[in-house]
Amino acid sequence: MEFNRGDSGSNLQSEINITPLVDVVLVLLIIFMVVVPLLMQGYDVNIPKTSTNAVPAQAQESRLILSISPAGCRILGPSAGEGLPADCLVTLADQKVPAAELPARVAQILGSRPTEKRVLFLAADDRLNYEGVLRILDLAKSGVEDLKVEFITSD
Amino acid sequence: MRLGEGAKMQASINVTPLVDVVLVLLIIFMVMAPQMRKGPEVNVPKTPKPSQQGDERGRILVSIDEAGVVWIDNKQVTAEHFSEALHEAVGAETEPKIVIRGDAKLNFRQVREAMVAIEQAGFRGVGLIAKGPSAAARGE
Repeated sequence: MEFNRGDSGSNLQSEINITPLVDVVLVLLIIFMVVVPLLMQGYDVNIPKTSTNAVPAQAQESRLILSISPAGCRILGPSAGEGLPADCLVTLADQKVPAAELPARVAQILGSRPTEKRVLFLAADDRLNYEGVLRILDLAKSGVEDLKVEFITSD
Repeated sequence: MRLGEGAKMQASINVTPLVDVVLVLLIIFMVMAPQMRKGPEVNVPKTPKPSQQGDERGRILVSIDEAGVVWIDNKQVTAEHFSEALHEAVGAETEPKIVIRGDAKLNFRQVREAMVAIEQAGFRGVGLIAKGPSAAARGE
């Protein structure tokens, strides 16, 4: 304020006040720095009720089951790098399928169904590595949108 | 000082106190952020395309660490007390969101047992936490 006093009047303050802007931006920065590491990523899965046998009303034959066994896919120990072993075979609807073909196969079978019927039942062997199972789940989900996954958890 | 030069004025305000305060806040939050995490250190599996699971506050975190020990939020629980502890953690919430943070080195059996325990406690649907390939992919 006091700067302009005594001026001829032709000299205007040409710079805008950026302080509130900087203020808001820095506060936003702090908020995001705090929140971002707390965001999580993952996969939504369901567990069919084993006790009441209330499996979604779908005919037995239309249920798509993906099963992973250590004989087909050797993911027993913690994996060293990214991805799955190249020779990984899984069983989709009673057929042996290389894991790499999973997105296409799942899309082929479930893609034509209405979204609420896109359900994949997943059965994995107990001895498998958890990370490997999630990577196969990732492949299976990547083929179709809005795919619901049900883990078969009974023995 | 510069007023003596007549037409020249001091065009910029003093931002030092502002920067001061903001940097102190920044440091405070940087120190506090790791302590706001719930549960033990878990090295979650790395997968190509996990979907967003939202903020970990407001979720019930079931963590299984490398040794197979199960935690609910910040508390270690035994298999016998799992159901009780889970109900306690859920409290009065009508639609709790439960997620499992399992270590990448675990056997699937240990995760499956946790899923069965959650189902037996009366909850349906869990999120299995994984990590995308890079921090850059987080914004997707």
